[in-house]
Order: sequence, then structure tokens, then C-alpha cells
Amino acid sequence: MKRIRKLKNLWRLSATFILFFIYALAVSAQHIEPSEVQDTKLPIQVTGLVTDNSGSTLPGVTIYVKNNKAIGTRTDENGRYILEVPNNVILVFSMLSFESQEVQIKEEKVINVMLRPAANQLEETVVTAFATRQKKSDMVGSVTSISAEELAKTPSSNLTTSLAGRAAGLIAFQRSGEPGEDNANFFIRGVTTFGYKTDPLILIDGVELTATDLARIRPDDIASFSILKDATATAVYGARGANGVILVTTKEGAVGSAKLSFRIENSISAPTRNVELADPVTYMNMYNEAILTRDPAGVPLYSEDKIANTEAGTNPIAYPANDWQKLLFKDYTTTKRINLNVSGGGGVARYFVSGSYAKDDGLLNVDHRNNFNNNIDLNSYTLRTNVNINLTKTTELNARLSGNFDDYTGPLSSGATMYDIVVHSNPVLFPPYFPADPAHQFVNHIMFGNYVASTGTGVGYHNPYADMVRGYKNYSRSLMQAQIELKQDFSFLTEGLSTRVMGYTYRQSYFDVNRSYTPFYYQLENYDKHEDAYTIVNLNEDAGTEYLGYSQSRPDVSSSFYLEAMIDYNRTIKEKHGISGMLIYQMRSNQSSAQGDLQQSLPFRNLGVSGRLTYNYDKRYYAEFAFGYNGSERFAANHRYGFFPSYGLAWTISNEKFFEPLKPVVSNLRLRTTYGIIGNDAIGSPADRFFYISNVNMNDGDKSATFGGTGTTESTYSLNGVTVSRYANRDITWETSKQKNIALDIGLFDNLTITAEFYSQYRDHILMTRSIPMSMGLSAASRANVGEASGKGTDISLEYNKYFSNGFWLQGMGNFTYASSKYRVFEEPHYDEPYRYHVGHSLSQTYGYIAERLFVDEKDVENSPLQNFGEYGAGDLKYLDVNRDGQITEADRVPIGNPITPEITYGFGFSAGYKNFDISAFFQGLANESFWIDPEATSPFANNTQVLKVYADDYWSEDHRNINALWPRLSPGVNNNNAQTNTWFMRDGSFLRLKQVEIGYSLPERIQKKLHASRIRIYVNASNLISFSKFKLWDVEMGGNGLGYPIQRVFNIGLNMDIH
Amino acid sequence: MKKYLKSIICLSVVLLMVTSCKKYLDILPDNMATLDNAFAMRSEAKKYLFTCYSYIPKSGSIDDDPAMQGGDEIWRIAYRRNGFTDLAKGLQNKVTPIGDKWNTFYKALRDCHIFLENIERVPDMLDTEKKQWIAEVKFLIAYYHFQLMKMYGPIPLIKENLPIGATPDQVQVSRDPVDVCFEYVVQNIDEAIPDLPLVHYNPVEENGRITQAVAYAFKAQVLVYAASPLFNGNTDQAGLKNLDGTQLFDQTFNKAKWELAVAACKKAIAVCDSAGLKLYDYRDKNGANYNQYHLGDTILTQLSIRNSMSEKWNSGIIWANTQSFSGVQGIALPMMDASRPENHVPRGELSPPLKIAEMFYTQHGVPVDEDKTWDYNGRNNLRTAEDDDALYIHRGYTTASLNFDREPRFYADLGFDGSIWHGQGRYDDSNPSDLFYVQAKFGQMSALQFDRGSITGYFIKKFIHFENVVEAGSSYAIHNYPWPVMQLSDLYLLYAEALNESEGPGLEVYHYLNLVRQRAGLSSVESAWEQYSINPDKYKTQNGLRNIIHRERLIELAFEGQRFWDLRRWKEAAQTLNAPIQGWDGQQKNAEDYYRIVTIFNQTFGTKDYFWPIIDREITANKNLVQNLGW
Repeated sequence: MKRIRKLKNLWRLSATFILFFIYALAVSAQHIEPSEVQDTKLPIQVTGLVTDNSGSTLPGVTIYVKNNKAIGTRTDENGRYILEVPNNVILVFSMLSFESQEVQIKEEKVINVMLRPAANQLEETVVTAFATRQKKSDMVGSVTSISAEELAKTPSSNLTTSLAGRAAGLIAFQRSGEPGEDNANFFIRGVTTFGYKTDPLILIDGVELTATDLARIRPDDIASFSILKDATATAVYGARGANGVILVTTKEGAVGSAKLSFRIENSISAPTRNVELADPVTYMNMYNEAILTRDPAGVPLYSEDKIANTEAGTNPIAYPANDWQKLLFKDYTTTKRINLNVSGGGGVARYFVSGSYAKDDGLLNVDHRNNFNNNIDLNSYTLRTNVNINLTKTTELNARLSGNFDDYTGPLSSGATMYDIVVHSNPVLFPPYFPADPAHQFVNHIMFGNYVASTGTGVGYHNPYADMVRGYKNYSRSLMQAQIELKQDFSFLTEGLSTRVMGYTYRQSYFDVNRSYTPFYYQLENYDKHEDAYTIVNLNEDAGTEYLGYSQSRPDVSSSFYLEAMIDYNRTIKEKHGISGMLIYQMRSNQSSAQGDLQQSLPFRNLGVSGRLTYNYDKRYYAEFAFGYNGSERFAANHRYGFFPSYGLAWTISNEKFFEPLKPVVSNLRLRTTYGIIGNDAIGSPADRFFYISNVNMNDGDKSATFGGTGTTESTYSLNGVTVSRYANRDITWETSKQKNIALDIGLFDNLTITAEFYSQYRDHILMTRSIPMSMGLSAASRANVGEASGKGTDISLEYNKYFSNGFWLQGMGNFTYASSKYRVFEEPHYDEPYRYHVGHSLSQTYGYIAERLFVDEKDVENSPLQNFGEYGAGDLKYLDVNRDGQITEADRVPIGNPITPEITYGFGFSAGYKNFDISAFFQGLANESFWIDPEATSPFANNTQVLKVYADDYWSEDHRNINALWPRLSPGVNNNNAQTNTWFMRDGSFLRLKQVEIGYSLPERIQKKLHASRIRIYVNASNLISFSKFKLWDVEMGGNGLGYPIQRVFNIGLNMDIH
Repeated sequence: MKKYLKSIICLSVVLLMVTSCKKYLDILPDNMATLDNAFAMRSEAKKYLFTCYSYIPKSGSIDDDPAMQGGDEIWRIAYRRNGFTDLAKGLQNKVTPIGDKWNTFYKALRDCHIFLENIERVPDMLDTEKKQWIAEVKFLIAYYHFQLMKMYGPIPLIKENLPIGATPDQVQVSRDPVDVCFEYVVQNIDEAIPDLPLVHYNPVEENGRITQAVAYAFKAQVLVYAASPLFNGNTDQAGLKNLDGTQLFDQTFNKAKWELAVAACKKAIAVCDSAGLKLYDYRDKNGANYNQYHLGDTILTQLSIRNSMSEKWNSGIIWANTQSFSGVQGIALPMMDASRPENHVPRGELSPPLKIAEMFYTQHGVPVDEDKTWDYNGRNNLRTAEDDDALYIHRGYTTASLNFDREPRFYADLGFDGSIWHGQGRYDDSNPSDLFYVQAKFGQMSALQFDRGSITGYFIKKFIHFENVVEAGSSYAIHNYPWPVMQLSDLYLLYAEALNESEGPGLEVYHYLNLVRQRAGLSSVESAWEQYSINPDKYKTQNGLRNIIHRERLIELAFEGQRFWDLRRWKEAAQTLNAPIQGWDGQQKNAEDYYRIVTIFNQTFGTKDYFWPIIDREITANKNLVQNLGW
């Protein structure tokens, strides 16, 4: 213990020291550097206006004299510039994503320039590891970027939902539409490990954050969004980059007067598809059928009288027939989003300040008798300030502060739970609530309907309406981070040398509070049909409350500290030898509360040094070497550090002399290849903190024993027991991933670019559970780094840009990702049947039984192999005896269907504009994915499950013996035979959907000018308009999660305004 | 120069960081809980002792004990289907065996051996206590092995723990022959006995832990098992051999095994005697309750029978399972109190089939089909209760003849349409009409419904403590008791059985049989058969007496979780469990229709069902492990 504290102190001391140092530097810098004034008189003063091809003025265009960058300026916010230049020089106008233009100066005083958007994307720069910008044409590793503008087109308050199909190599899909819970799942180049961490590392301005934090970033704040895919690109992140890296940088201020940008959006959303349920009368008839078809001596649950009266609608209190869906859910809901940012700056400092607000409502109804809101209402706010200060001419200090806050009000459980409860609630047992009758006229509370439990005590059922309106939950989630970065340019020592120190800390917190009353439940006691009068009885007189109670979960707070120091060297020698080098030291510590286990409560730490060396000759031949040397606290001292090198080569063929003749057609041709090894310490499960020591629960209630209880006293004596939940293993070490990448960049006719990449990776030392007989009596799995897996795939992206002289422009894009994986070494028993081995199959391959058909009759059952899953008979699923041993056992499970994570993701779309109008559309799709309808969760009557309409329409019954019916023979509970994972309930998860459409109109320039705006654009867009899939039960993208909160179709109207 | 200085400082800070963090990744504090801590002091070691106990199955639990609903003794409405009702329906399978305990018991054995490996290290303990704990854990090692054997037959013995990093060859253990298994179990008990206490000095904290009486009685039970047909020369299992050809069941019957059993039973009885145990009798109870009512013999006998099970720690209990307190009372109790219609806690769901009702003797202590005075063929005719029957059947109530003129245990153990239910707040037997009684026809209080009621028309009274009271709302005040797993009557009957098998009929056999019959209010086996049986010499032959002892055992220990195992041990399950489960027609309103026999299920039981299948996955993982026959 002592040692820990000492370390901590040392740690604090050094951190304080650094901050102090930075501060001191900042203060002293202001005194040292008086700005040098250039007072050389130049003969010509040139002025002018720079516009883009649509006529909009372009602020921030760099203008300088060719070969003498010392003379230069930038356009102001109105696109105007003034510059004094020597005579007879060439002026260069350049700006990111525009083609540079050169103009010869000959006495002219006014030079207006129109810049064309860069047709050749390869001239763009991308942000790569540690926020270094690299020219796309110099890249050796594999990095894709998505433009923030594209991301802004999806009308969602959740950024992750707009990722699908936007970038080659990124696999993304969304399983739920619930505000706050609707993060898409995303993977870079698929999943090639069977450890717990399969998702990429997410870095926002260098800060390691979660998918939820990524979800809350507003596209308007994003300067760049990059995806690092291969070994050389991620190598410098060492242990953290094995599953790819998503890198987001936020905007910074630019020199100029304050520029204000404003966006407001208003959306209406509705489920793309709701699950349809059978009507209450059908439900009752089918329930009785379910009882009698399984047990002819059984007692029917619903009397004919009840069914007839329900059908006739006699008295809805006595004969309830609830449409819970209608009672609980609205048809549509609304969302609002506002985003505002201001940026600008002067010679000493630049700033970017943004604030945003989003309000997402859910689809739940609210009871007017309560004065609280139980519908989902998620308010998220973000505030971000990025300030860059030039301490000296060569020293820059960046301070970034941001906060991100979610305030949520919603149902006690989640919205998804409400959807789930509705499907699992009896529609005819009780009404949602009883109206106040004379006997209860003084009752203050809502008299919710319910029915006594089958154990005879208490309230037996879920009343979804009561569950929804009986209270509400507030949660508050916040992320506050402070980051400071100091850059020092050491060009005065040697050209191209610079250093950077960056540190951040953040605090993340979450707490929730539930406020609810315990509803009073009533049951119908008597109903007199002649008088049409009923009496009701209270089921929980003692337990119910009229006042709100309170509960809260354990607050979850985490804090993180990170420090990196970097030395960078970048120089071109003799115009032909481009050299760069970089060395980074990084340390990270993260600790959080609410872990529930001592080992997990200890800080998570990483420590490492990584570096990169690149060399290029004449922009033709490129070589790159990168490495990560990392330590992780999870491993024993002898295995703690790992060295992970990678290298790459590239050849720009189009820069060769012999290629010159082809240039008009093939403007760019480049070949790249990389190879590297990346380590991963996020193996096993998050609970496995220290593999080298055992984890023992010294107070396990499951292992308690009780004695005593004598005489008249009821007193007994109990002690909890001891359980080993992990055995120590000092040999467990890094999982390693060997990654290869081959890429081809092609540019055609200056307006079509193609990037095609082919990759493969091989992971070994994957931690896996060893196959040990149960007679060993182990209470925890025995594990070793023995697993191996491989992955391979292709990312292809296409981009097309065309500008016509009449002002019409067209952009098209498409991308395609194929990522497959395979088990290579997997410890499993020696099977007699070769198909049982996992090796050679995808990591997300499902194994199950082949369902041939439903049994025709009992004779058919007798003549078929024995099925070992409990009761079955005519109308139940008949499985294929694959190994022909006369029994259906686990040995008959075969790989079925496609993997559950899609192997193919693609997206394509276009944008076009003419004068003030623009339109865009984007399609996205998945393929090679299977999912399963959960036969247990949808099994009618079990757990009060309602009958899905599709089941009611197509099931096996004794009168209608359809051996191909969708649902087998009914049963009052889950029929275990039919609930096995099998091909009967397997569905194709592929789909293509019109993900997003947008039409925009920018106000004419003269109106903009009147309003002092540089851009005013109004637009309408929609998402998830149409989808194409064979599956109709629910939105296919939800996969096996179909009974949850549905994915939304959104219609949105927005206004975007830039004011100077 | 200033500039240089600045950069040097800058770089040195970076270097400082790098060097200062050498220990950055050593974040483990001392005092992390590891297995060593579990034996660092007595109080932690005690927790480990309790861990070893914690694997004892919850006997009498509907969800953990196959002997409750897994055989033919208790049936249940379809709505209450669980794994064990499936087992009863013959749906056992090897993919996910119903009630599988393979994994649990082997985990238990590993923990027991960990305990033995480490207990010597505990510093702050007296040697005598250490020895006692070791003895308890040795007993548990015997106990868990024996539980595995009851279910799976011959098993791989765990004599010591294999290391975690053992090679695949080491972990792929094979089964040991039955006799070797029994030998190992008995050896462990023998090693345990000397260090166990005869009785507990601190019953409030220790009752339920192992004593010498428990160990001796358990040893007797184990040796009776070893001698019984299932394990002694069972030729059905001739084909069960290890891969190397080792025969797992000895194919020749060995009478000496019965002799060992006799000796063990005799010793156990003597030890129980010296521990002060005796057959429970309600009349013996000092200051017995409800003396003010001057209860008659009928009720007193019934209370002796009922309370032998439901009165906790009564004098006849050798070992009760404190890991399992009777959770079945509400489920067994039918609804009877008309003033508490809203109280649905009494479910009345545990339904003994008709064959169990027929199993009980007549009032003369002989089987219904042997009693000369009892109309066996007319047993399903209707008959109305008169004054003489008033403490058994509500006066004036019409029910089946089968329910008349039966032995006290029939009325003490069972409830049925019209039966008197003494207790539940009404104790005075002077006016029998005031006592509660069951009404089970359709539409009546305890009728069969979709989710409650008896599917056969019979209820189990034996589980329910007579002083439990159904109160208003949903409150049911119960007297909880740890489930008795070994009773003196059980031991007496084991002794009688073993004696009869090894030496044939004799006075000693009759003596112990009659002790049990006497408590049940019956005359001796000799006089009952001579006077009333159509087969008066039955008790004189070994075969006949075996028959009588088996039946006595099934009746005496009915519903206590013994029948399920006894039928298997005797290899009688193949006949008994191949008969239909029957009951009265619960969906009928009047007596004429209600008292018609309906078949609820046709049970089937094959040779393979005598043992559990070993879970298929284990057979796949361990190539040396052979599957039980037929699976």
C-alpha cells in the first residue's frame, strides 16, 4: 500500500511540475518575442476577391509569392485581400481542397481569382496518428477519411449512426433506435479476435474516449475524421491500435474577425416498422389450443364465455382486450438540434468556441394524471473551446476544454424494455386501469389492473402501462476534459525539428435517480353480466404507495490521465530526399468507480514509446518504418512489455518520367504495401485485470452453508464461502496481430479516383479457454494464449467529381468493404465429425441444427432419429441427423448461415448542385449476414408473450398440418426442442437502404450580403426512407434484436448560416 | 543561448518522465485476496469448510431434487412443468441431462481437496478442531462421490487434485469400477468417524453438521447400496467397460456385501441409540401442545406420523439438510378456508397419483389387495362418510371407497376430496365437523384449475406442519424445518432389509419392522398378516418378507425423497415406472363424474434410465470416459 501512495505522489509531483513549466514558458514567451515588423517597401499593391466556382467568396485563402513565402497574406472574411508585391512575380493562391492557382503579376492592381475545388483528392491531406497531417499522396499506410459535411447530412443526434457505408473498411450497423441507446456498432476491417475488445480505438483530439462520446460530437465541430486501418498507420498507438483507430480532430480558429456559424434542425421521426401482434381473441383461442394440443387432459385457460364476450366487446373492464402498443406508444416524435460556433483570432491567439444542444424525445405516452414526464427526453449539450496561442514565433500553446453533458428523463427502465414488455404482456387478463367506481370514489391513485401471481402471493404480471407511467428516471452523464498541448518548433536548431508535449485529463460521471410510486394493482373480483356491474379487489394494499419513492444506482465516475511527449523531424534535403522521423513517449492511467471488485478498481495503465521513420526519394519511392514498444499492467513482469514493429513501401508510378505520356488519362498511379505486427492487451474479458494472480471471492453468497435452527428459535447460522474466479497464470501475454496491406491508388481524367486495398491479418496468441473435462472440477476456466485467427478483405472506394462550366457540379462516391475472418487454431476436443471444428470458419459463425421440416405425425416422430431436447411430437421441428448416429445431439450442429457481423458493407451516393440548389442521396447496404428470430423470446404464451401476427397467420395446428409453417405446434411454454438454434429461424440480414436524401437551397448572394452572411442554406433531408430486404417482421437492421426499440425514419428540416 | 537552454529544459523534462515511471505498471497493492488468504486464519478457513458443505444438494426442493417430481410419487399440473417433470415423462437426454450434477459435485470435490491440502497451514486453531474439520470434509468427499454414484454409477474417483496446468493426458481420467468406488467412499467415512463428535455441543450453530451418528448411518446406507441389486451383480450393465476393457460392474452377486451392510446398520443403530435418538412420538413430547383438548388416539397417531417429518430436529432425525428448508408447504397445501378466499398461497399442486394412494395399507396394516375384509374390487365405488369416519372424512361427504378404512399413515400423509385436515388453527377433535376438509371437485375451493390444484385429486399432507396457519391477504404462517434426509425409521428399515437379504426372516427383522409399524399405529407384521392377509405366510419367506419390507419402506418414507432412489436400487423401477399415472377426473362437478379414473400419463422406464447419462460434452472432451449404456 505504501508503495502505491508513494508512486502516486511522485506522479502528482511530476504532473504539477510539467504544468508549471508550461505555464512559465507561456508567461516568459510574451516578454521575449516582440513581433518583428517588415518594413521593406514593395512596388505594387494588389487587391482582389477570391471566390469558388459557385461564386461564394472564400475567406482564408493563402496568397504568396512563388519561391518567396515571406511575402504573403490571406483573404479576409469577405474573400478580399491586399498585398504589396515586387513586380513581375507569380502569385500563388492556395487553399485546402481547392486547386492552387498561379497568376503572373504585371502591373495589374486588381486580380480576382476563382478557385476550383481540387479534383484530385490525392492532393488532400489527411490526419494520421498523433494529429500529424500527411499529404494523401505521401501516405504509405492505410487511412481513410470522411468529410464532416457528409456526416452532417444524416439527421441524427448520434454521430455513429451516420458512419455506415461512408468509408471503405468500416463496418457499421445500428440495432436500436432509442435515444441515448442508439449507438451503431462499428468495426474496422471486421473482427479477428475472440477477446472482448473488438471495437476500434477512438481518439478525439488525441483523447481516448468511448463510442458514446463519439456519438455526441457534432459534425459542425469536426475538422477531420480519419480511420486508421493497417499496421503502419496504427503502429505508433502500440497496444491500443490492434482493432484500428478512429481519429477525430476538432476545428481550430483561423486568423480573422469573428466568424459565426449556426445550424438549427427540427426532425420528426417514426419507427421504420413496428412489430405486428395478433388480436386478443385470436390470442385466447390459440392459448387454449396450445394447452390442449400438448395435453389433451389439460384445462383450458380461457372459457368460451370469456372469448365470446371479448369478441362482442361486452364490457372492456370485465373483458379487457388491450392493444398495449397503442396504449403505450405514439406514432411519431420530434427532435431538435442547434449548433453554434464562433471562431477567429489574431496574431497571438486563435479561438474556436462551439456550443450545441440536441433534444431527442421518445415514443412513449404520458398519463395526464401524473404530473411527471415518463417519456424519453434526452437533452445533450456540448461546449468546446479550442484556443491556440503563439507564445513565441516558434512556440504554440493549444488549450482545449470541452464538456459534454446528457440530461435524460425517461421511463424507469429503458424504452427498449417498454417495447419488450409490450410483447410479453397478456392482452386479456386485466385492463390497463380501472375507472373510479362508486366504491372507490375517494381513491387518489390510479387503479391499475393486474392479476394475482401464480404462486398465490402478490402481483403476478407486468402491467406495461403501469410499468411505464409509475415513475421516471433521470440520468445525468457528463464528460469534462481539459487538454493542453505545447508545440515547439526547433527549426532554428536544425530545420524540420519540432517537439510537442500534450497532456489531458478527463472526468466522466454518470448517475441516475429513479423516482416512482409502487402502483396499487386491482383485480376484477366479480362481474354481474345482467347488471353489468363489477367489483374489484386490491392486490397489494400493503405494498402500494401513492407517493413517490426513490432509488439510485451506484454512481459511475471515472478519471483519466494521459501524457505524451513527441519529437518530430521533417525535412526535405536537396529537394529529393524527404526524411521524417518521430519519437513519442506516452503514458496513460484510467480509473473508475463502480467496479464491484478490487482488482477491477485498480487503475488501467499503459506505458510506451513508439516512433516512425519515413524516407522518400523524389516523391517516387517511399519507405516507412514504425514501431510501438508498450507495457501493460495486466501481464506478469516477464511478459509485460512488447515490441511491435511495422514497415511499408510505396511507389508513385505516375511520378516516373516514363509515365508522362499517360498522365492525361491516368493522373495518378501509386502502389503501396505495408506489413506490421500490432499487440493487443485487451484480451479475455474486462474483468481479467491481472492474469498473473488469482482472483478469489472470499465472501461468495452462492457458496454459503447454513446450520442450526433448533428448538423454537428460527435462528440459523450461515457463513458465505470462497470461490476462485480466476486461476493465476504467469504465462499469459500479448495477443499479436500480423497485418499486411497492399493498396493501389488510381486517378483518372482528373475527376475519378479509385483506391483499392487488399489486406490480410493473422492473429496469434489469442487468449482462449482450454478444453478441460468437468471432472477436473475447476471453478474458473483455464486459459492460455493458444488461439489463432486470420482475417482478410478488401476496401474499395471510388470518388468522382465533375464541374461543368455552366455551374453545374456533380460528385459521386461509392465504397465497398469485404472483411472475413477465420479461426486458424482453436483448442477444442477431438471430434469425430470434421464439421464440428471451428478452424476454417468465421469468428462470428453460428452453429446450429439443420431444421428439415415439421414432423408430420407421431409415426413420423417414431421413424426419425431421437431428438434430445425435451418433449416433441407432430408439428415440432425435425432436425437433420448429420452424423447419422440415430440421435440428434450436439454432434449434429453444423455451421449455419453467414456470420452475425456482416462481411460486406457498402455505400454509394451522389451530390449535385446547380446554382443555389443542391441535392444528394446516399444508399447503404450490408450483405453476408445472418440473424435469428429468437424462438424463445417470441414463443407465444411463454412469459406472457403475445402472438406475433406472422405466427398467428402461419402455424402448425392439428387441423392444418402444414409441415412448412413458420411457427411449429403451439405450446403454453417454450418448447425446448423448437428453441434450439437452428436454420428454421435463420434469416438473411442483407439489406440495401436509402439511408439519406437531402435537398438544399442557398439564398442568393445579395440577400446573404444584406444579412451579413456568407452563407444561408435551408435544407430538408430524410433518413431510412426506403429499404430493400426480404425480411418484413421488423427493421432488418435490428437483426436478432427485433423486439427492441425500433429504428427510426426521420424527416428533418434545417437551416445553416455563416455570418461574418 | 537562451533558446537553447529552453529546449534543453524541455527535453530533460521528457526524459525525466520516461525514467521516473519504471514502476508505473506495478499497480498491485499488497494484500490482494488470493487462495492463500483463505487459510491464513481460522475464521477464513471456516468459510472454506462451509464452502465444502455448500454443494450439498437441496433435498426436498422441487427445482433441485429429482426425487420429488422426477419419479412417480408426485405429479403436477402441466402448467408447472420443470426439468424434473420432464424427467418423469422420460425426456432425459444426454445433451443437457435433466438435473445434471456432474460438474457441481466435481467442483465440490476439488474444493474439499483444496481444503485438505491447506488446512494444516492455519495457525490459530486447536488440533482437535482441525481434526474434526478434516473429518467433516472427508465425510463430504465420501458423500459427493456417493451422490455421483447414485446418479451415474461407476465414476472417476478424485483422490487428489490434479494441478491446474495438468496435461491433457492427465485430465482425461477414466471411470473406476463400482466396487473400487464403494471401497473409496467407505474408506473416507471410516477415516472420518473417529474425529467426529457424537453430538453437537452447540446445536444452535452446528446442527446439520456431520456427527458420528450421521457418518455411521451414512455408511450403513452406502453399504446397503453396494449390496443392492443395482450394484451387486447387475448383469444389465455387463456391457459397461472402460476403453481398456475394465469391467465396471462386477457381474457376480456377492452375498457378503449384505453381511457388511448388516454390520454397518447394526453399528449405526447402536451409535444413534447412544446419541439419544429414538423414534419420534407426539405423545412423548414434554408438555405437548393442545393438551386442553384431550386429543383422541386417532389424531395423536396422525400427529406422530406427520411430525416425524415436519417437526424440526425431532428425536428420530439423524441428519436433516440445513441447506434446504421446506419450501414446499404452500405448494402442497390445498385451499380449504372459506373465510380466506383471497389467499391464493395454498396451491394444492403436489399430486400423488392413484397408485400411491393405493400403496398405503388398509386399517389392518396389510395391502389393499391382500386384506380379506376390504373390498378391493369395489374400491372405486362411491361411499358416504359416517360418524365412525368423521376424523378421516367429513361427515356426510361422498367420496371413493378407496379412501375409507385405510391405515393412519394414509390419512396423515394424504389429503383428498372430502378428507379431514386437522390443524391449521383448528385443533379440537371433539367436533370433527368443525375441522377443515378438502373439497376438490370442479368449482370447489381446492378444485383443479389451469394453474393450481391437484391433477390426481390427492394432496400431500405430510409436508405441512399442522400448526401452519393461513391468514388474511396472502400471508401463510409456516413452521419451517430442515429437510430430513436420514431418519431412524429409515435406518431400521435398512437394517431389516439387509438382515432379510443376508439371513432371511427372523425375529430381529420383525422387531425393527414392527417398531416402525407401531409408531404408525399398526399391529405387528406377524399378527397383521396372519389375521387379515389372504396370504398369511408371506412374512415367513425371504421373498415375501422382502416384498413387505420394500412396501413398508415406500409407505413409511413416502414423499421424503426415498422412493425415487429405492426403486432404482432394488431394480424395481422397470416395473413400477412403466405404469400409467392416474387420478380422478378433476374437471367434473359431481361425485359420479369426478370419481372416474383418468390416465394422465403413460410412463416408460428402460434399462438405461437406471443411471443418468453423462453430459455429451464431457464425453467429447474426455476420450477416456465411456458413456452409460443406452445413452
